[in-house]
Formats: sequence, structure tokens, C-alpha cells
Amino acid sequence: MKKILCCFVLFVSQFAMAEKALHLFNWNDYIAEDTVTRFEEQCGCKVVQDYFSATEEMMAKLLAGAGDYDVVIPTQNAVEALVKQGFLLPLDKSKLSNLGNTAKGFLDKAYDPGNVYSLPYAFTTTLIGYNEEKIAELGIDPSDWSIIFDPAVLEKIKGKVTVMDDSEELFGAALKYLGYSINDNDEKHLKEAQALILKAKPYWAAFNSSSYIKELTVGNIWVAHGYSSDMFQARVDAADAGRDFSVNFVLPKQGAVLALDNMVIPKKARSPELALQFINFMMAPENAAELTNVVGTGNPNAAATPFIEPEILKISAIFPNDEVQKTLETVAARNAKQRRLINKLWTEIKVR
Amino acid sequence: MSTFFTAALNRAERLSRILLSLPPGLYLLLFFAVPSLMMLFASFRFSGEYGGLAPWYYIDDGGITLDLTLENWQRLFETDIYLSLLIKSLAYALVTTLICVLMAYPIALMIARSQKRYRDLLLLLVILPFWSNFLVRIYAWMIIFSPQGALTAALNAVTSSFGLEPISLMFSSTAVIVCLVYVHLPFMILPLYANLEKHDHRLLDAAQDLGANRFQCFWLITWPLSLPGIYAGAVLVFIPSLGIFAIPDLLGGTDGIMIGNVIKQQFVESRDWPFGSVLSLVLTAITLVLVLVAAKLGSPAGENNGKK
Repeated sequence: MKKILCCFVLFVSQFAMAEKALHLFNWNDYIAEDTVTRFEEQCGCKVVQDYFSATEEMMAKLLAGAGDYDVVIPTQNAVEALVKQGFLLPLDKSKLSNLGNTAKGFLDKAYDPGNVYSLPYAFTTTLIGYNEEKIAELGIDPSDWSIIFDPAVLEKIKGKVTVMDDSEELFGAALKYLGYSINDNDEKHLKEAQALILKAKPYWAAFNSSSYIKELTVGNIWVAHGYSSDMFQARVDAADAGRDFSVNFVLPKQGAVLALDNMVIPKKARSPELALQFINFMMAPENAAELTNVVGTGNPNAAATPFIEPEILKISAIFPNDEVQKTLETVAARNAKQRRLINKLWTEIKVR
Repeated sequence: MSTFFTAALNRAERLSRILLSLPPGLYLLLFFAVPSLMMLFASFRFSGEYGGLAPWYYIDDGGITLDLTLENWQRLFETDIYLSLLIKSLAYALVTTLICVLMAYPIALMIARSQKRYRDLLLLLVILPFWSNFLVRIYAWMIIFSPQGALTAALNAVTSSFGLEPISLMFSSTAVIVCLVYVHLPFMILPLYANLEKHDHRLLDAAQDLGANRFQCFWLITWPLSLPGIYAGAVLVFIPSLGIFAIPDLLGGTDGIMIGNVIKQQFVESRDWPFGSVLSLVLTAITLVLVLVAAKLGSPAGENNGKK
């Protein structure tokens, strides 16, 4: 009987705890641990985190019914799709005292006019991370997509390169290298990109979106295609581990994908009040700055700038200046037919 | 009186048979037949604009119009990539199963022939790896295979002394097969052990008395008797290896994917449930055929045929 009682108490206390929890669905490595701890202290609740490593993975999970997260951090094209699906709760702006901190340039975008459903969280670029010593030794220019696409360059780094296991990102990079837009859906251009990828594929070690930080940091690979925040992480990790090489990253000059990630609240959120509290918390200058200082993201929060470490502000791959920004593009949502075409080309790439 | 009694007994027996087959029948219906039928239906529908499924009918002024298609099935045969991938996956699973048989047989035999008091401990050692998470174990292999790892370094020290190019284990089909074998080996050992442990030792004694040498004892007695155990183990190894996607995702190189990865791609990346259903159904059908073959081979009738 005692056991049963104990079980019952545990069961009930679980429910009590569940009421005071914020369920956050975020990218891997995309929030500072200290920030989470501070929020937990402030709200007297627990933050339960769940992670994803690709937009499509997040969308698949949400659209298959796992919608009871309180806050999700989708990229702009996913926000557009989620809004069109009627999946999101309009944000109650009266509860967001830090609203004015966001830089105007990041507000009122086409994917969510008037920011009814979303507010910017951070931005990253997709670029080249590399082993500084090796690449300098081999005399390769890392600021050019040819480093992952041109067989003549790849010949020198065969088997030491990984590219993202993400059709959108890899096709985006290939299209940019060929001089097209990232959002080009012309079948001819996509096939050209596919041919480019197929020619470069034998030189790559793997399609990898989940462990390239580690592989770069330990020196297993020398060149990785990935997110700027991940490359920042790899650089910090390699320095902390005292390796005899350093990791650096650079935006290719042909241009790249810019991803603006946003905070949204799903309609099915268990505690929307707590979600608003979290969004407001993340828009406070110190908290927004910490995201950049620890994780290495670009920051849409204008008020956070004084709190950001000056060396990070100087990195053009994290805070691109106006000129560099002109070369960057955000990915637009693709419709079912376009997704099908990309997937067919992508499967062919993977099988051949 | 006695006829009445037998009749009642027969009826009771029939009833108990029906009752006994009810739970597994219900289980199959709920967790196999119903989901498969749902997938079959989905495979004829269009996918929704943002994933999921489009409505299968729409109502206009003329009445209800069905919106179904054969397009998803046609896509399977449009190119040979899906079939060739299927064949490749079958080959991977087959190689994995064969290696598992070769490795598991001596282990299972050793455990079955060891003293009774050690057997539980040895079996425990076989299932011990299950105590840590599957992904953690795969990540451990990633460290072993990495170019900086001891295994690769040692191998390359040997190959380079013969003047060969350094080899890379990480991100290769070798890595995928090694991990497939590693993960599934216990599933071959356990049924084989369960079979070998039941063998009547007197058969071997009799064979030896009649002048059979050790090889003959094994080949003519132990091996044929252990075939049902091998078939059971083969099913447990082959089927999960065929559909796996995590291992090729983490360890496979640029051409390391298997059919499971493409199915996952349909549901996750392109959110194309109908085509994902088509591929899943094909895989399920192949699996079913193989299970039926294995069941036939492993059944008592099959065993008798083998003995003749």
C-alpha cells in the first residue's frame, strides 16, 4: 500500500511540475546554459529542452502532431509555412516590454508582416569552417565555394571534407557557386547543381550535419560546410582543447544562405503565458548578448550590442556588413511539387 | 457416454485454441494490419502542401469527387535508383546476417557447452551492451574508427609498412557493416543458444561410439539440429538491419545510405508521406516473404525434410 501511495504522490507531483515547465524546441547548441539557468530562477519553473538539427526535421515533427511545445525557434521559411498552416498563436505584444530592443531591419519581413506571430531570435550564415594550418599549407582559398565543389581544389583535400546532410543547404551553396539564386526552382538549374554535386561527391568524406563540430575540432576533417554558430563553437572547442591547429570560418564570396531564426508560440502550447515571459526574457539586452557571446550567433537585438564582445562584433561571417549582406539570401518555403523535385535529385545524389 | 465426453473435450480444445490465438491475433491486427492498410491508403493519395496528406475527396456542385492517384507507385519504377538501393540494402543485411552467424555460432556453442553455473553470467555478458543506449554505442564506434583513433592508426602502421595508401575506416561501408554486426550480434547468439542448449547430449555420445570424429559429430548432428535456431536468429538480425537508418546516417560515407534512409527522407525532409508509404510497403512486403520462407525452413516439417 505504501508503495502505491508513493507512486501516486510521484505521479501527482509530476503533474505539478509539468505545470511549471517551459517546453522549448530549439536548434542544437543554440542557447547559453547560463541563460537557461537564470530564466529558471526568475520564473521559478523548469526549462525542458528538445533539439533539432534541420528545419525539415522540426517541421516534420511539429506537423505530425508534436505541437505542444511552448516556444519553438524556426527559421524564416518555416515561420511562413507554420503561419500558413494556422499553427501559431498571435503574440500578445502588451506582455513584451522589451519589444523595442530589436533592430528595425529585422522586423516586419515578408514571412510575417507586422510580426504578428514571430519575433527574431538570432541569425546565422551557412559557410565554410576549416583547419587554418592545413588549408594555408595547401594554399587553398577558403572564401570560395570551389573549396567544396571544384574537383581541382578538392583533389588536395580528398576525404577531409564534409558537407551538410541537408538538401536545402547543399543545393543552396551549389546554386550560389553556379551564380544562381538560392531560391531558384528552375529544373534546369537544379539539375546543373545536381551535376556539380555529383562531380564533387567522390572527394567528400560524408554528408554530415550532426557531428562536424567534433570532426573539425579533433582534426579528422579539414573543411566543413555548416552553420556559422557551429563553426564558432568548433573554434572555441579546438582552442580550449589546446590543439596544435586552429579552426576558422569564412563566408564564401559568391554569397551564402542567411538564416533568421525566430521565436514563436504554437497554438497547442501548454503554457503560453510562460512562453511570452521567455520571449521577453530573451529580448533583454544581456540575455540576447549572451547568446552571441557563448554560441556565436548574429544578433538582431540592437540594445544588446554594447554587451557583445568586441572581437565577435568584428567577425564579418557573424555580423556581415551591408556589402556582405547583399550577397546573402534567405531560403523561401518550397511547395510540395518543388520539394518533390529536390528530393528526387537529392536521392539520386545519395544513391549514385 | 464416452462419445459425449470426447465431443466435449474437442469443443473445449477448439475453444481454448481460439482463445489462445486471440491475443496474438489482436496484436497483429492492431499493430500490423491496421497500420499497413493506413499506409496502403496513403500510398494512393496526394501529399499536402506543407506535409501530411491532401484530402482524398473534395465536394463540388456535382457531388463528391475522389482525389486519388497511382503516381506514387509509378515513381518507384520511373528510375532504377530505388530498386538498386533496395538490392544494395538487401546485400548489406545479408552480409551482416552471415557474419553474425559465423561469429555467434562459436559463442553460443561455448555458452551452451559450458558448466551450468557459468551460463547465466555468460548470457548476461552477451546482453550487457544493451544497458547503454544504442546511439551512445554507435558514437563510441565513431571514436574507434576516427582517423586519430587507435584502431585506424594501428591498421595504417601495418598497411604503410607494405607501402600501401593509408586507409580510412570512418564514413565507409566497412564501418556501417561492422556496426550492423555489432548491434545485432546478441540477437543471433540468444536464439542459437536457446536451441543449442536443448540438444540431447546422448546423440553426440552415440555418434562418437559409432566412430564419428568431432567434425562429423558437429556437421551431421549439431549443425542440422541447430538450423531452426539459425533461422530464428537470421530473421531477428536480417529484418532490423534491412530497415535501419541511424547507422548509415552516422557512419556511412557519401554513398553509404540504405533504403531506410530514403524512407526517413520522405517522411522528414520532403514530407512526402504517400511516397514514403510506397517505399515502406515494398520493404514490408519483402520482409514478409522472407519471414514466411524462414518460418517454413524453421518449422518441424522443414526440419524433417532436412534429415531425409
